[in-house]
Amino acid sequence: MTVQMEWAEKYRPVSLSDVVGHKKVIDDLRNWGEQWEFGTPEKRAVVLHGQAGIGKTSSAHALARDMNWEVIELNASDQRTAGVIEKIAGSASTMKTLTGTSDKRLIILDEADNLHGNSDRGGARAIVDVIKKASQPIVLIANDIYGLSSTVRSLCLELKFGSVQSRSMVPALKKIAAQEDVMCGVGVIEKIAESADGDFRSAVNDLQAIAMGRTEINIEDISTSERDNKESIFKVVGRIFKGKDVSSALEATYNLDETPEDLIHWVDENLPYQYTGKGEEALTPDIIAGYSYLSRSDRFLGRVRRRQNYRMWRYAGMLMTGGTVVSKSRVRGGFVKYQPPSLWRKMGQMRSRRNMRNNIAVKIGSHCNESMRYSRLEVAGMYSRLIQEDEYAADVVAVLGLDMDEMLHMVGAKKVTKKLQAVYDDAQKKRQVFIPADEPAFFVEKAAPKKDPSQLSFDSLPASNNATLDSAFGKGFPNKDEGATPAKKEVAAKPQKTLFDF
Amino acid sequence: MQVCILLCGGFEIKEEIWIEKYRPFKLDDVVGQKETVERLKSYIKTRNLPHLLFSGPPGVGKTATSVSIARELFGESWRENFTELNASDERGIDVVRTKIKNFAKTTPIGGADFKIIFLDEADALTSDAQSALRRTMERYTNNCRFILSCNYSSKIIEPIQSRCAVYRFRPLSDEAVAERVRFVANNENLDIADDGVDAIKYVAQGDMRKAINALQAAALIADTIHKDAIYKITATARPEQVKELITTALDGSFSAARKHLDSLLLEQGLSGEDVVGQIYRAMFDVDIPEKKMVELIDVIGEIDFRLTEGANERIQLECLLAHFALSGKECN
Repeated sequence: MTVQMEWAEKYRPVSLSDVVGHKKVIDDLRNWGEQWEFGTPEKRAVVLHGQAGIGKTSSAHALARDMNWEVIELNASDQRTAGVIEKIAGSASTMKTLTGTSDKRLIILDEADNLHGNSDRGGARAIVDVIKKASQPIVLIANDIYGLSSTVRSLCLELKFGSVQSRSMVPALKKIAAQEDVMCGVGVIEKIAESADGDFRSAVNDLQAIAMGRTEINIEDISTSERDNKESIFKVVGRIFKGKDVSSALEATYNLDETPEDLIHWVDENLPYQYTGKGEEALTPDIIAGYSYLSRSDRFLGRVRRRQNYRMWRYAGMLMTGGTVVSKSRVRGGFVKYQPPSLWRKMGQMRSRRNMRNNIAVKIGSHCNESMRYSRLEVAGMYSRLIQEDEYAADVVAVLGLDMDEMLHMVGAKKVTKKLQAVYDDAQKKRQVFIPADEPAFFVEKAAPKKDPSQLSFDSLPASNNATLDSAFGKGFPNKDEGATPAKKEVAAKPQKTLFDF
Repeated sequence: MQVCILLCGGFEIKEEIWIEKYRPFKLDDVVGQKETVERLKSYIKTRNLPHLLFSGPPGVGKTATSVSIARELFGESWRENFTELNASDERGIDVVRTKIKNFAKTTPIGGADFKIIFLDEADALTSDAQSALRRTMERYTNNCRFILSCNYSSKIIEPIQSRCAVYRFRPLSDEAVAERVRFVANNENLDIADDGVDAIKYVAQGDMRKAINALQAAALIADTIHKDAIYKITATARPEQVKELITTALDGSFSAARKHLDSLLLEQGLSGEDVVGQIYRAMFDVDIPEKKMVELIDVIGEIDFRLTEGANERIQLECLLAHFALSGKECN
């Protein structure tokens, strides 16, 4: 009795050259792998990130096979506390392999952005340690790159997997179909590739689901197992904005696999574009009426959330669909494309910015012995002012241990200019003096002023000098610019010993 | 599975819970999901299964389908190779990492090719637990398949959806409900009138579990099942009554409407929530401009909310009737 495998497993790429799409990224990955043949590369770890089902895990395993490396994998189905990670990945990353069949072993940390707060306590820090000490290649895999701390990111080579183009899926799917002896009608493969929306694994799964028990598939067979999410939401949104009939709009939502909480974002996003036509003002009365319904609908959503009273969803649904239908004075001709909610994208971006801001605040906080919150609200502004002064920029960056992204964020710049690069390089040089290279940086940041002998001279700064600085800070808080200026004068006198070193 | 109730007179009624008794054991018995069942049957034929994700409202056959798949694939040994985890079980990340993983790791019993883990209400899994699941799903495909069921597939994280064949279960059509109800009634030697079937359709709203429960409950109080028995047992007002209540109120005769309301609340013992729910459903058949209808539904929602906050259901419902009267006046 043969157990049929899932095709997605059966046809997992064996070699990097089998991976569908991602040419550039795969080349980069292979190059990085080859560097290991000649000693330890600058970045000991890579992080592969991108949406689900596009070949991140497959590429990592394929790399190992191509390079003839052993594989050790830790994923979210394993517990990943600091202890476990150090025990497994830590020892694996520093020791040579036992079997001796290959001289390297690849450590794969799958779902690295998904460390569980409680069950995986300390895991994130352990990953940093492991990467820093590793003498073996490490691959981190994540869906969301911003789920990783900036420290981890700065240690890794970042490789982004874009979504797989449907046209590059087609030949691969055809090959699978041919090997499984499945005849495909015209357009079948194309349709599957299209509806997979960049997710190659789901395309393979769909193909298998449709082909199971058949030797021939035609376009009519697809409908039952299609991932119809996107298509049907556009249909519903169309009924809402173009239709005149409340009940048909509402009925369309019954077959929709979205909660009212998600649907309202769609209506919200598209309302202003849909209810204004040629030669009309940007804000038509229809839009105002529509938003008044949406607002009332949202009130019901809030009641559901606060009281777990899901009966209220039906009123929310009615107001967001029917309300939008009746608030149009006429059906506007012409087709305006429906947009997916931008709020989700923006929230993603905001989260990464917030993480960045908090990271910086932690660094400042540990330097000034202040809480993260206080540092973010009160001190960060001053540091970012200082970092814009040529004289101190490098010192601030060095002492706080900022990485490039964080520095850019504090300066408020979008791109790395030559000048900023120079500041950063300068800071790295200074950092080498402050911090012995083989110790993890974040320990030293706290301990350096007391323990590191090279810092001793700063401790011997005259006490009075410190006092004046303190008072300058004290006065400076209400107004950042004023605060910065007197401090600057003090420091200007001793350019070598900056005020950040006490 | 037989439940015996002994009454004091030594008088014995044999009863079973019909939703269990008539739970489908074969895919062919699953009603109203023809396309889905067809596709699933082809899996049985090849004796292989991808991971499956079933999404749909309650009472449309998600669990029944999963159990049927297991029974058809494994025959006698289905219980050993099929495990079910409900939202009522603890299902944090630890369960995924220990219990599910261990079940997935061990080999199937009784000559089966693989085991099935059925995660009912998978949308109740935390997203951490869901992400812990994804590699487990891939790793043990040679001896384990997952069937996940949920009400909204958008609550399942993308990486899991990408690993599953997604099947959407639609609310059952009235015909499908009627057919099954007739079948059960026939099997139980019950007389059911046509208006009784219609009443069950109205009460069930596409939920087979509700339909069969209503039938069984009604069978306890009447030999021949008419609509009255159904409405009475399910604390539902007759649709005509509700419609009359609404039209009277819209006509502006407030006190007449209030009499109707009192008869629903006091004589038939309906709760305010039941009444509001039925008024909401009836709104789509009332002959008023759509704009007014949307406005009134907003009011209904507001009253529904106040019912839970307030102390006196009657006052809230009277307020609703007054709104109807006002709205009716504006229409004319």
